[in-house]
Amino acid sequence: MSQSPHLLTPGQSSMGKTAIVAKGLQKRFKTGRTYIEVLKSVDFDALHGDVTMVMGPSGSGKSTLVACLSGLLRPDEGRVKAMDQDLWSLPSGRIDKFRLDNCGFIFQGFNLFPALTALQQVTTVLKYQGYDVAEARRMAMVALDEVGLGHRVNQRPSELSGGEKQRVAIARALAKQPRLLFADEPTSALDGENGQIVTRLLQRAAKEHGAAVICVTHDHRMESFADRVIHIEDGRILDDRRVTSQPAPAAADRPLIGA
Amino acid sequence: MSLALATLLYEWRRYLAAIIALAFSGLLVLAQVGMFTGIGKAFTATIDRSPADIMVLGPKAESLMNGGNGLPRRVMAQMYMHPEVVEVADLDGGGGMWSNDPPPGKKRVREWIQTSAVDTRSDAVTWPRDYNENIRVALLEPYSVAIDRTGMAKLGIQKLGDRASINGKTVYIRYILDGYPNMMQPTVVVSRDTLRLLGQASTGSRVGPLMVRIKDPARAEAVRDQLNATSDKAYRAWTRAELSEANDGAMMKESFIGIMLGFSVFLGLLIGVGITSQTLRGAILANIKEFASLRALGVSMGSLRMIVIELGFWTGVAGLAATAVLVGVVAQLAKMGGLPMSFPIPMVIASAGFLMLIAIASGLLALGILKKSQPADLLR
Ligand SMILES: Nc1ncnc2c1ncn2[C@@H]1O[C@H](COP(=O)(O)OP(=O)(O)OP(=O)(O)O)[C@@H](O)[C@H]1O
Ligand SMILES: [Mg+2]
Repeated sequence: MSQSPHLLTPGQSSMGKTAIVAKGLQKRFKTGRTYIEVLKSVDFDALHGDVTMVMGPSGSGKSTLVACLSGLLRPDEGRVKAMDQDLWSLPSGRIDKFRLDNCGFIFQGFNLFPALTALQQVTTVLKYQGYDVAEARRMAMVALDEVGLGHRVNQRPSELSGGEKQRVAIARALAKQPRLLFADEPTSALDGENGQIVTRLLQRAAKEHGAAVICVTHDHRMESFADRVIHIEDGRILDDRRVTSQPAPAAADRPLIGA
Repeated sequence: MSLALATLLYEWRRYLAAIIALAFSGLLVLAQVGMFTGIGKAFTATIDRSPADIMVLGPKAESLMNGGNGLPRRVMAQMYMHPEVVEVADLDGGGGMWSNDPPPGKKRVREWIQTSAVDTRSDAVTWPRDYNENIRVALLEPYSVAIDRTGMAKLGIQKLGDRASINGKTVYIRYILDGYPNMMQPTVVVSRDTLRLLGQASTGSRVGPLMVRIKDPARAEAVRDQLNATSDKAYRAWTRAELSEANDGAMMKESFIGIMLGFSVFLGLLIGVGITSQTLRGAILANIKEFASLRALGVSMGSLRMIVIELGFWTGVAGLAATAVLVGVVAQLAKMGGLPMSFPIPMVIASAGFLMLIAIASGLLALGILKKSQPADLLR
């Protein structure tokens, strides 16, 4: 996997900075006549350059939390400040634009269009971001190279293995150089080896590109790649543990002393 | 290549129902247009291929088919007053009960027919340009008739030389024509003398449409205008091209054909939109998670709508291609059956527009399904 210098530069300057802060998130769903409270006043934050894992039992509200943080699901109460914008105060068109500019997603399912080649899956989104055909193609090639699929860019999903499909989905999410990368159980449909490849890719997105990676998982093998592990149970955060030291802000980010 | 086009090409089976529905909607409309125009053309074949430069109809005629009830006989003489007019002849004909001379054991065929007279000179203004010398020689004989190949079965004729009768007067089949198909009532071509022998030549004060030949065919429009300027509302002169065009449209203006065609357009619209929009909905639903993932990545709902409408558009293009094939096959079959179809360009363009309208409308109707593309559902 080749290094891609153009992706490195913008990321590192923001290493260690806060990417997203949520305060007092509440979400409840109506089921029949009663409401179930899925998020009960959750406070959350994530830093650029960190892989933040969200773990917890099934039904504890992990996916709901990610949906609220990423602008996909409006919380009933609370605020999300992402990339210095008060996310849920924006009109819905601006929230779309916010996601287009800043967010990458990796889901458990790969959600690739059957008709498109790996390259087209990636360029489709880039074109909506406003890149012209040649530029989108160049960026997509870089991203596919990075996930180790540089030689399979013309394959359609039906000709790719599960792990390869997930890597295409990751390339699709990474090609737009997101500052926020959300993943919901990205490895649960994959075997150990492919799971590890995917985990490493998420880590690289954080370490080399300075993205804030927020990853929901059941997979304890992924834990060893985390900078921070947050445990959530029954809609509350039980435990927030930093595993590695806080990422050091890059040189460019420090105040210039005596210059 | 766009997402919509790539999807249509790759998953064409999914869209086949819509493409076929569109093709049949197109066929439903175009086959009728082709048939009625073909019938119209058959009615006027003799005129279209006549050497006349100008034709004169009644003052209120809109085409040869609604030609009114003829002209005063004196108009014929009046035509010759114009210095450029060389020859004037009236289109004469009649009709009657045809019966064949059945071979032993077969039932006698009885059929209402039309007769149409030509002057048996190869330079006559009533002599169609594609009639050959053999026809002329054949028709010179009294009581000889020519019929088109497509009328043979209906008239109970097996071969040249067969005998038949018109209103009880015996006639002989001396020539089998090609390219003058009979639609409703078979037409029997005779010489003007034979028409007189059959007692059907017009003798009264009124005559049928007039065929006029002038010195310089290039001056047809000018001469027409001059003739019309002095018509005093007794007649209207047309150039051949002008009349031919009016004849093409005349069939479509017939009220029963208009109603049938209108009903077909309505039915085609209903079936086309119904099936096509359902097909599009199904196809989009099959990829709804992929659409939702685009939504998650920030692609706006408006952009997704454009994809759906574009899908409708490409389905329409495929439907048009399938229509062309189907109509081509049907037209070929009809031609082999002696019923040549004809497709005026404006009608073809209108039908193509109609199909695209169905396809785009179906795309619009299918838009609602996008509500199901909830990106939050991908997080579970
Ligand atoms: N749209 C919805 N309507 C009603 N209830 C919902 C909806 N979405 C989630 N829930 C409920 O909210 C609870 C939390 O769901 P969530 O998907 O956040 O759990 P999770 O922690 O991601 O679980 P898992 O590990 O199984 O994916 C569940 O009990 C679920 O039934
Ligand atoms: Mg979940």
